[in-house]
Amino acid sequence: MVKSKRTKAGDLVIVLVCILLIMVCLLPMLNVLARSLSSTEAIIRNEVLLWPKGLNIEAYRFVLTDSKYTWSLAWTAILTVICVFVSMTMTILCAYPLIYRDLKGRRFFNTMILFTMYFSAGTIPHYLLYKDLGLLNHPLVLIIPNSLSVFYMIIMRTFFYSIPDSLRESAEIDGAGPVRILFSIYLPLSKPVLATLSLFYAVGRWNGFSDALMYMNNRHYHPIQLLLYNILNAVTSIEIQTQEGFASAPGLSDTIQAATVMFATVPILLVYPWLQKYFISGATLGALKD
Amino acid sequence: MKSTLAVNRKRITTYLRKYWSLYLMLSIPIAYFIIFRYVPMTYIQIAFKRYSIVQSPWEMPWADNNGFEYFIKAFRNLDFLYALRNTLLLNVLDLVIGFPAPIILALLLNELTFPRFKRFTQSVAYLPHFLSWIIIAGLAKQLFAPTSGLVNIALNRLGFESIPFLNDPTHWVFTYVFLGIWRNVGWNTIIYLAALTNINPELYEASAIDGANRWQNIWYITLPGLRPTIFTLLILSLGHILSSEFDRPYALTNPLVNSVSNVISIFVYRYGIRGLQFSLTTAVGLFQSVVCVIFLVAANALAKRFGERGIW
Amino acid sequence: MRKRLFVVLFLSLLLVAGSSVASLAADPGFVDGRFTTTRKITVEIYDRSNPGGSPPEDNFFTDFIKKGMLEKYNVEVEYVPVPRWTEVEVINNLLAAGDAPDVCVTYSYPTIQTYANMGGVLDLAPYLEEYKDLLPNLFDLLGDTNIYWNQDPHTGTIWAVEALLFQNKKINTFVREDWLKKLGLDEPRTLEEFEDMLRAFRDNAELLLGADADKMIPYSTSFDVGWRNDHLIQSFVPNDMSDRDMWVYGFDDRHLLWPNYKEGVRKLNQWYNEGLIWKDFPLYGAGDRTEDNLIKAGYVGSFMHNWDYPYRDGQEGIHVQLQNMVGEDAVFIAVECFPNDAGIYRKYLSAPVDRKVFFPATNKEPLASLLYLDFISSLEVRRFLQIGEEGVHHIVHEDGAIEMLPVVGEKIMNSPSNIDYTITINGLDLGDPVLTARSVALNYPGVDARFIERAYEITSNEARYGINAQVGEIKAQEGMDTALAEKRNNLLAQAIVAKVEEFDAVWDRGFNDYLRSGGQAIIDERAQKYDAMYGN
Repeated sequence: MVKSKRTKAGDLVIVLVCILLIMVCLLPMLNVLARSLSSTEAIIRNEVLLWPKGLNIEAYRFVLTDSKYTWSLAWTAILTVICVFVSMTMTILCAYPLIYRDLKGRRFFNTMILFTMYFSAGTIPHYLLYKDLGLLNHPLVLIIPNSLSVFYMIIMRTFFYSIPDSLRESAEIDGAGPVRILFSIYLPLSKPVLATLSLFYAVGRWNGFSDALMYMNNRHYHPIQLLLYNILNAVTSIEIQTQEGFASAPGLSDTIQAATVMFATVPILLVYPWLQKYFISGATLGALKD
Repeated sequence: MKSTLAVNRKRITTYLRKYWSLYLMLSIPIAYFIIFRYVPMTYIQIAFKRYSIVQSPWEMPWADNNGFEYFIKAFRNLDFLYALRNTLLLNVLDLVIGFPAPIILALLLNELTFPRFKRFTQSVAYLPHFLSWIIIAGLAKQLFAPTSGLVNIALNRLGFESIPFLNDPTHWVFTYVFLGIWRNVGWNTIIYLAALTNINPELYEASAIDGANRWQNIWYITLPGLRPTIFTLLILSLGHILSSEFDRPYALTNPLVNSVSNVISIFVYRYGIRGLQFSLTTAVGLFQSVVCVIFLVAANALAKRFGERGIW
Repeated sequence: MRKRLFVVLFLSLLLVAGSSVASLAADPGFVDGRFTTTRKITVEIYDRSNPGGSPPEDNFFTDFIKKGMLEKYNVEVEYVPVPRWTEVEVINNLLAAGDAPDVCVTYSYPTIQTYANMGGVLDLAPYLEEYKDLLPNLFDLLGDTNIYWNQDPHTGTIWAVEALLFQNKKINTFVREDWLKKLGLDEPRTLEEFEDMLRAFRDNAELLLGADADKMIPYSTSFDVGWRNDHLIQSFVPNDMSDRDMWVYGFDDRHLLWPNYKEGVRKLNQWYNEGLIWKDFPLYGAGDRTEDNLIKAGYVGSFMHNWDYPYRDGQEGIHVQLQNMVGEDAVFIAVECFPNDAGIYRKYLSAPVDRKVFFPATNKEPLASLLYLDFISSLEVRRFLQIGEEGVHHIVHEDGAIEMLPVVGEKIMNSPSNIDYTITINGLDLGDPVLTARSVALNYPGVDARFIERAYEITSNEARYGINAQVGEIKAQEGMDTALAEKRNNLLAQAIVAKVEEFDAVWDRGFNDYLRSGGQAIIDERAQKYDAMYGN
């Protein structure tokens, strides 16, 4: 960052606010982490605050030694990577042509695409569609149907807009076609937004499970979040408790509940810092002087 | 005459030669939208029909009152009207308080000079985003429950009365909004931070030479640089003014606050999914969509007035 | 030419008429108790995805059933797993796509009624009539009562058959035996004694809990007020409530509309304002462990819950954990202390019905499906499903009582007593009631039998069972279940936490909302149809 006149007091206030923010965000996570490592007795007595009490790695052992869960972790990781590639490709293919102002039919396409963000009809028609397409219980059903988010496409397009037309025009004069321009100008300059949207798509896929719940019967392809959701749900349905008169899944402790949160967050947390390096300053835009 | 025709034909061929690749690129997403969004959309017509699970929507008989029976039924239902009010209330509060928050935070982070501290703060700030609402609700209860919540226990020790964060409707609304901000503010700064990298650093250099202070930088350089992003996200947010997420109110609600926590998504869940009244809930969904589109168009037009591009 | 056409037409008409006549007669492919060609049926099975569980559609027990069905009837059975907590949505999807299993199960009859009104359910009446002789086990187990429970008196249709609720147990009131001893109190036998006991708990918090005195909770309950305060509230219901009133006003499964229910809730409101009830009770939803943890930690003096709740779950259950945390003496015992206006400790139990079994309209093999139901209703088969293999799933005591063993691996039972497979019965039935009772008592590892026997006896003592009134469909009830249940829960919770002087206002407001939102319409329709059928 380029330095400008700063006041010491202002700096201090900002740092204080950041520290407050860190505490508010970090402490709950520490609590969950502590609970995932604590003994059942300590949790029952509500004694766990920020540090584990009565070290207990049962929950992690339970999940990491069961091949069902380790396979699902691996599969979810693979699935997430595939989905990011597919989604980013789709998003670029959609956003890029729409920045050409003299593209005929642009308004029509814009409207048509925006429309889909607001009108949808629920699970049943999607179920019937996937059935007709033969996608039910096929891994592709976890990849294709949600591959393109209109919201993210708009964000990408907004970023593309901010790249000056002059760059494009000079390339066109040199005889480059739209595809060349995309690869040589727009994509290299859009690293921040590409990194951001990749992260968004990745998190969305990693944390999402409702599509697998409805459309994927094959347990082999269940994402990890669905497995964890099933564990947690084993005791939460009131009908099960009162109708059936027994508590399903005995032996599931609060520790496992907390551990499932760890499994949801830690892997994806590792992705962001790795992507942070793409959020470089706008030094590259320095080349835009005409 | 003949020359204009020839000129037109030449124009068309040059146009196509230039842009054929763009149409090819667009064809894939458009095909996707048609297959995966528009084909299921034909189901929306059940909002106007008497639903039967074994018939296709084209076969179902029309509902009474020219098909508007379910819309009328919804608006006659007091629960729906309350749900409508609550949805608007919560969404507007979310917007008014929750929309500026990530912007302010992004600006604050931008001012930090210590890069490691900045990165650490960023990474920590978006941790809450990864917690599901069920977990957050559990944490919230641990903190805010009237007798066993840590915050209230501390308040009691200091001699104050317990604050009914979660068990009184008015307090609940603010707890609800606050938790939403807590969960999303860090995450939402990501877009703004990425947008900030687009701002030409030479502008800051120039302003330093002119002797500008921090606030002048923010007002004259940073904010205008963020303007397109802010407006885009604002338009999209306004376009969701009547949409209703399910997880957050469902996880945080309890029987004492249902007067404010019953939102449209919960109404749909109760009557539609559990009650199997599909036509009713599709009608409600359709109503929501139409209102959202109206807001979207209005917001977009307003943005264009301000000289922004809008999303159309 | 014309004449030939006429003959062809006539003959084809004959053929069509002949084939349709043939389909109404008994299935010609069924000879000597078996099908001549292999038939296939699909059956819904709950997928609980419990950790360590086996795939519900393919495991030791499904192999047993499939083998049996194939050998006996030449019917191939395939199981369709349906996730337990999204059961309704998944069945909706399957029905819409025409893929629903041939045999489906659900707990909610109005759901089936809704499907039936849309034309999605097969009417069982003609098949039950026709094939009655082929289904001896089914009729034996369920009896005409359960089989014809849902028959519409006007149209004769039967959309679903009711499974048998064999172990009909519901609620119990539990108090800390050691606290009673410490305070020199007898077991409460009346409402006043129970109240005095609660006040004694509250006032002696330091004696009972020492340093944790501020955590004292004399009486705990949850957001599901109707269920968790069943004995108390229903002791206010007049003993002479007529069958008619019981049925007409009993459609809410917590019986909110029964006469004098309000006074029972008022009592809870009084207790709450005296500081006798756990103040945070409405905040925690179903399945939340906070209340359980408070009970296990020893802070709670009394509560009402499922009849064996503290004794369940072995090592993880309340009984064992409480003893671990506090001491050997810290145990809960079941007590009977809420007599009604006639001095009887009346318990209101469910009618002997449980899950409802129905066949979607896409079922092409009604006979094979009914034979499946018959197969799993035979004592031999369901005994095996419920107790498994000797030495693996259970051991046999000298007196013949069965004690279940914990099983891991591929022979595991995914649900207690394999309830998911025994869809026509809920509850252990070994054929001999004495043996069954003894076996039930044996199946609480870590818990002394005296607690179970006491709980078992009290919970169904002086029981009055729900009745059936066959009046046909109640249109006003369609689709209203969940919405009205939510309103009821809200009303009850808000009424309890209100200030004493505001109780009536809060109650009336919520109650009127309940009636206005569809409750009154249901009452009126039920009353009208009941009176029409049974006279007044």
